Amino acid sequence: MTSTLEQLDADTTTRNVSEQPWRTVVWDDPVNLMTYVTYVFRTYFGYPREVAERLMLQVHNEGRAVVASGNREAMERHVQAMHGYGLQATVSRGEP
Amino acid sequence: MIVAGRSGGEGVRIVLEVEEAMLLSELADQVDSVLLLGEADDPALGRLLPNAYPDDASASQEFGRYTRESLVDGKRQAAQRVRDATAVADGDHGVVQIELDQSEAWGWLTFLTDLRLILAERVGIVEEDDDEADETRDDYLRAAYEWAGFVQGSMLEVLDPTDS
Repeated sequence: MTSTLEQLDADTTTRNVSEQPWRTVVWDDPVNLMTYVTYVFRTYFGYPREVAERLMLQVHNEGRAVVASGNREAMERHVQAMHGYGLQATVSRGEP
Repeated sequence: MIVAGRSGGEGVRIVLEVEEAMLLSELADQVDSVLLLGEADDPALGRLLPNAYPDDASASQEFGRYTRESLVDGKRQAAQRVRDATAVADGDHGVVQIELDQSEAWGWLTFLTDLRLILAERVGIVEEDDDEADETRDDYLRAAYEWAGFVQGSMLEVLDPTDS
């Protein structure tokens, strides 16, 4: 009985995690200018200024922000691009 | 140093004193060297090529294998272009004028970022408004860091002007 319940829990957990999309997370860095980070988000992701500024402020104030989500390959491309721009970015699954 | 818009086009025009151009050229050459010769455990290189998977060593290694070379190439190319654009011949005096279109300007912005990441690592800038490390900071590197930020900020004011 107990082992069955545990099994069910494990299955549910696995399924939920696998259904969650991958994320591109950008982390705060004391070096990068806020205007630069905003311009990168605007130019690379094509976000409107309000969105780009909100994400930049989230990075600045909360230490990180999810700037994109989707499949793993796409997130790896985004993270590679962010590294090209000199931003600290990571690939993560589910909650960062 | 003056950064202005270009007449009749997107991009920026940068006017540097000869001394500023020489400094930038030298710094660009050093960034190129760090990328070319940097030891794998150089923390400055770690800032330029961050770990994409801090919690997954094998995914991290895999990501590095597929991306590192092209990232290093792109960053070296940007540094070399800045170095060449700011090269000053012996005996030159006055100012150096540089015109950059949008894409060339991006090369400068990313180079200035990489430069500042390296300088920050070298002078130990780990927290904003952190004054504790003042005594250990190299004044020259610190000044170069601040100046590179000033150049980048000035470029952004032209490239991405805000109403406020």
